[in-house]
Amino acid sequence: MQELLGRIARLDPSASLGLRVIACFDELMVGNVNTRALLAAAASLAGCVAGFHSETPARTVRIDPRGHHADDVRPEVDPAFQQDVSDGLTVWLERNGARQPNDAIVLERLALAVRVRHGRGRESDHRRDLSLLLDPDVDVQARCVSAITLGLRPGMRYRVVCAPLFAVWPEHPQGPEDVVATRFGAIHALVLPASAHEVTAVPSGVGVATEVEDLHHSFRTALVALRLCDPPAVGSVLADDFGGLIGLLADAPDGSFQPDVALVDAVMAYAWGAETLASVVRSHSLRQAAREAGVHHSTMQSRLETVNATLGFDPFEGYGRTRLGTAYLVWRLRHSRVLDLPAPTAAP
Amino acid sequence: MTAEVQPVARPPFDAELRAGLAVVGGMFPPTITPDLIDFMRVSYAAPPIEDLLAAKGIVCTDDVVVAPDGHEVAVSVLRPKDAPGERPAVVYAHSGGLMFGDRFSGIDLVLDWVSDFGAVLVTVEYRLAPEHRHPYPFDDMYAALEAAASRARDWGLRRDRLVVAGASAGGGLAAGLALAARDRNGPALRGQVLDYPMLDDRGTTASTHQFDGIGVWDRVSNETGWTALLGDARGTEAVSEYAAPARARDLSGLPPAFIDVGAAEIFRDEAIAYADGIWRAGGDAELHVWSGAFHACDIFAAHTSVGRAMIGARNDWVERIIAD
Repeated sequence: MQELLGRIARLDPSASLGLRVIACFDELMVGNVNTRALLAAAASLAGCVAGFHSETPARTVRIDPRGHHADDVRPEVDPAFQQDVSDGLTVWLERNGARQPNDAIVLERLALAVRVRHGRGRESDHRRDLSLLLDPDVDVQARCVSAITLGLRPGMRYRVVCAPLFAVWPEHPQGPEDVVATRFGAIHALVLPASAHEVTAVPSGVGVATEVEDLHHSFRTALVALRLCDPPAVGSVLADDFGGLIGLLADAPDGSFQPDVALVDAVMAYAWGAETLASVVRSHSLRQAAREAGVHHSTMQSRLETVNATLGFDPFEGYGRTRLGTAYLVWRLRHSRVLDLPAPTAAP
Repeated sequence: MTAEVQPVARPPFDAELRAGLAVVGGMFPPTITPDLIDFMRVSYAAPPIEDLLAAKGIVCTDDVVVAPDGHEVAVSVLRPKDAPGERPAVVYAHSGGLMFGDRFSGIDLVLDWVSDFGAVLVTVEYRLAPEHRHPYPFDDMYAALEAAASRARDWGLRRDRLVVAGASAGGGLAAGLALAARDRNGPALRGQVLDYPMLDDRGTTASTHQFDGIGVWDRVSNETGWTALLGDARGTEAVSEYAAPARARDLSGLPPAFIDVGAAEIFRDEAIAYADGIWRAGGDAELHVWSGAFHACDIFAAHTSVGRAMIGARNDWVERIIAD
């Protein structure tokens, strides 16, 4: 995987490779893999042998970058490439030569993962500053400390950008970034000044602007925005475009009782359903909806008769517009495939 | 009454491999649309190979073979430097969805056959879609296979121990070569190694629909690749079985096949069906379906327990067929 990290760096010289190393070990910890697998990942990421020693029982394991056992003779290792995990446990990288850019982060995450695997560190909160900052359950004082540690200034406004780790970044704006565990798996989160609206990453969601103590809200709206993406047609979504509505969506529990969404489902069962609703929610009249959809207005009229009958209300009348718009967005979230990763089993 | 959407039921990824996706996703997004072909041509280009060859004691000689339309196809002939004379040989088609990659993409694993079993590897720079549709990529590969037989003495190959191999799109090409060699009384083959092969342009299997937007090479990527190769013909009766070997009606008379595939990838069902078709026709096929494996996980995450097991099983089979 060292070679793959090199490719990513060539594609995007400003990409944070450390973030991928972190995400990789986060997944390994969630997957509860054994010491050999942890050493194999470290060796593969670093491109050199990774080792482990425990004093009791006395055991040395050395794994090469292809995941194979090297002999179990513990070599002399430069202390700079060795880390004590906990009492009697040590891990190291057998780097001959100069320190490589990811060595420190690989060694740190390997040590943490080995500690957890050996039952030495389950109780404390190992999360890093950005995860703490974006968690509303963390005390506000602690969140502000994390913000300052990350170089953010209280009183200034920022927004959080969310993207999956497989997003493509033609340009990479600079700001504090990390991977954050969510129920959708590891998400790449990046904090930018409030003035940053446009992000070219596909797919990505840009949250609303808030002060640092409310960035957890920006994060939640960014996650909703990301889930509204539908690449390649919709590559990036800006939470601001939906105003206060996106906050309601972010805070609505999954699977909440939404009878209007069932009605939208019934409309979507028609071959023309998705295209028609997409143009109706963007229009103020039948004629405009017909133009948006690129169909004749008489075609749109007959479709709308079916829509009105199915919904039981007129989407161009009074609260009908709000009901359809809201139900349409909830429907899109419930059918979102953009983060369709197998959910880790132990993420919050 | 609530509009609950059931998540797609699908086999899970292995934990070590899921961790690997955190890295792989940065250079190989799950969904390749036509607008990402240029990105993939950069990201999937093979790195310089000289150091690796030197470390493995392998000598590389470049040559050309001539395709039916006169195009000169570049090939590299890779052989162990301390093994003179005529050696067993593998004609290899690289991976890359028919649209990207080059003859050294994913070659690391195949080089084990040269360094460990003394084989000569002929790897082929077949032309890529969408600029070059079927039959050009296939014709380029077949020209290389014929050259391996006709120029065996030049290249130091044993004509009686010739194998075709390929991964992903290259696996589909290798399967097509075996069909064509049978139909055209072409070079006699001792085996075909089809790693998670891309065999079926129709995209109708259950596994194709289980891995949409996740892993490596999803349904949309596959549509992009087949459309690049076949254009409007994709999915129609006009598609040749040399382009999409899943369409072959007769799978008898083929050389022994080794087929491996992940349980957690879109090609699972077509790989199983191809092996089954060979068995039904009275042929010899060895099929491995690897639990928890995403597409090409042995290339991207060779260090994992699943990756090692895949590589080990394949190398054992290849050793059986080609080693002295």
